[in-house]
Amino acid sequence: MLRLGASVGQNFGVSESAPEEVRHPNLGVGQIALEPGEPIEEASEQVRSSYRFSDPALSELPLEELLDELLVRVQEALDVDTVAILLYDEEANQLVARAANGIEEEVERGVRLPLGQGFAGRIAGERVAIFIADVDHADILNPILREKGIRSLLGVPLIVEGTLIGVMHVGSLTPREFGQADLAVLQLAAARAAPAIERATLVTALQHEHQVSVALQRSLLPKRLIEVVGVEVAARYLPAREEVGGDWYDVFELPRGKVGVVIGDVVGHGIAAASLMGRLRTSLHSYAIEGHGPGRTLELVDRFVQSLSEPAMATAAYAVFDTYTSRVCYATAGHLPPIVISGAEARALEVTPAPPLGAFPYGRCPEDELELAGGEMLFMYTDGLVERRTIPLNQGIEALASAVAGARTPEAACVLAMAELVPDGGLRDDAAIVALQNSTVPAELHLRLPAQPKTLAHVRRVLRRWLISRGADEGDVAEVTIAVSEACANAIEHAYSPAPAVFDLDATEDDDEVTVTVRDEGRWRPPRGSNRGRGLSIMVAAMDDVQIDRTDTGTRVVMRRRLRHR
Amino acid sequence: MSLADVQITFARHALIARLSGEIDMSNAEEMGATVIGATPSEASGVVLDLSGVEYVDSAGIYVVYGMQASLQARGQSLIMVIPLQSPVHDALRLSGADRPGGIAETVDEALGTLQRPSPAGT
Repeated sequence: MLRLGASVGQNFGVSESAPEEVRHPNLGVGQIALEPGEPIEEASEQVRSSYRFSDPALSELPLEELLDELLVRVQEALDVDTVAILLYDEEANQLVARAANGIEEEVERGVRLPLGQGFAGRIAGERVAIFIADVDHADILNPILREKGIRSLLGVPLIVEGTLIGVMHVGSLTPREFGQADLAVLQLAAARAAPAIERATLVTALQHEHQVSVALQRSLLPKRLIEVVGVEVAARYLPAREEVGGDWYDVFELPRGKVGVVIGDVVGHGIAAASLMGRLRTSLHSYAIEGHGPGRTLELVDRFVQSLSEPAMATAAYAVFDTYTSRVCYATAGHLPPIVISGAEARALEVTPAPPLGAFPYGRCPEDELELAGGEMLFMYTDGLVERRTIPLNQGIEALASAVAGARTPEAACVLAMAELVPDGGLRDDAAIVALQNSTVPAELHLRLPAQPKTLAHVRRVLRRWLISRGADEGDVAEVTIAVSEACANAIEHAYSPAPAVFDLDATEDDDEVTVTVRDEGRWRPPRGSNRGRGLSIMVAAMDDVQIDRTDTGTRVVMRRRLRHR
Repeated sequence: MSLADVQITFARHALIARLSGEIDMSNAEEMGATVIGATPSEASGVVLDLSGVEYVDSAGIYVVYGMQASLQARGQSLIMVIPLQSPVHDALRLSGADRPGGIAETVDEALGTLQRPSPAGT
């Protein structure tokens, strides 16, 4: 049993169990009664206080500002040296110092006090006001109170509708007999403050959850979309007005000139849904780079969802676009059909339906295919964009299709979709969209490229696609590509560091003959060892004609080849 | 997506290095060094499985020659696995290079070749 202050203020009346201290049962709102004969000054202070703590502006403040404001008002009203507010942490069954004036260390050190012990702990545990006239002779758990030289303390519980939410206490650096009027003011403050704190705590917690979810959601979505030769992509994630969900999109490069594009929607909201979304996005990407097609990839993600310990469900659509053949292979799992935008027209694709991921064991995801001509776009979205209480889903999809029809770029499609379908005040559910366009292959290539080794892979992708569009067959593509890549490797080797160097590549086709020119501004170097000589041999062997012009200002390689198998 | 990948496994005293993807001047040297660095001195040789390679150019061929020289200096041999339909064949043909080391069509065939004692002894 604690031994609290030995010197007792007399004006609080009866003490229940411990004679060394004075307690008061907590008075609820409106129960503050003045004792007859109370000095008029004190009464007027109470009247002033009731204004001070009934200020409607208080109820508008976020938690931190509200607490700070209350501290100031209490300090002024009671003319005390310290004020502290501790909030009750239900899970830990502890009081946590949240705001303080004069004893800021309480908050800075993150003071946590057990219920039922010590000054504040007993106020909370027994829900009584406690006055300690002399701290030196009281059993105080929190050493900061003594360190600060506090002599006298008065504290009351903060209670909302019978539920404890914390403790507010005031202190004096000189011995002080807190009177009945002081208690009444502090209790008035507590009665007004408690519901405001409760409301602000809830709002802050919700905002925090929302912010964490949004941050998580953002961190789990691609930071920036890939740049792949042959496609243009754009995407958006739109959090709902109040909470985030588990919608996601993804775009990634696959071997052999393919691009994967994903849209998905985890059932549920908040941090849990966002976190599951992150796992599904990773899982789908992982299966995809293993080389599985869209159908099998979704089936494997379904097995992954089935294997989770917690029940989970999601819908998704996954499409693979082949930049060499302009074909799209796609599959959906309980997801809304992708839209194809073709000039001024836009239509929802036929999809062979399959159950959502995690819905039934061993679900099957059939694949469908389509040709995406140059300039056409595949537009994928989640139901948050089209679902409205008042209109049928297929009307929502039609409205989306007509909104994006005529979009010339994926970016424009995203902008149009949002402008037409996001209502004022935001969406009820979150939404994600991703659009992929088969970019038109130009008739001629004129590229200025950084003279870096990693440029070579990029050049090969551009060139392969261009050669295919000019009617080259596999043999043509392989041989021209290796010859041009060798010429570019030479240009990169010529570039002298550290200046950021560039080189130029032009490719034209006329009557079945391909001409590729690679120009750099470096010095031609004679072949080093057998390797560079071999590069030149490859160019000569692969092309019909190779000319190398070396001047003081740079090197120009012109290569020609008649397409063999047309 | 990374341009290429190398997977290393061990079988019957030989190291099997499976290369996949595209090999050019941006990654050839690193791949060669990875394989040589992973080869234990007690291995009889290296099987360089190129069946997953989609593109290789003179930089890649040059590195294979370098690997062969390094291994030879350690008394180890190099066998490349190149299937009939492989872009590696095209690159070797176009470069007019002598084929570095031995060539097999499958990994099993390559391992069989490595098991036989080499004429020069080890």
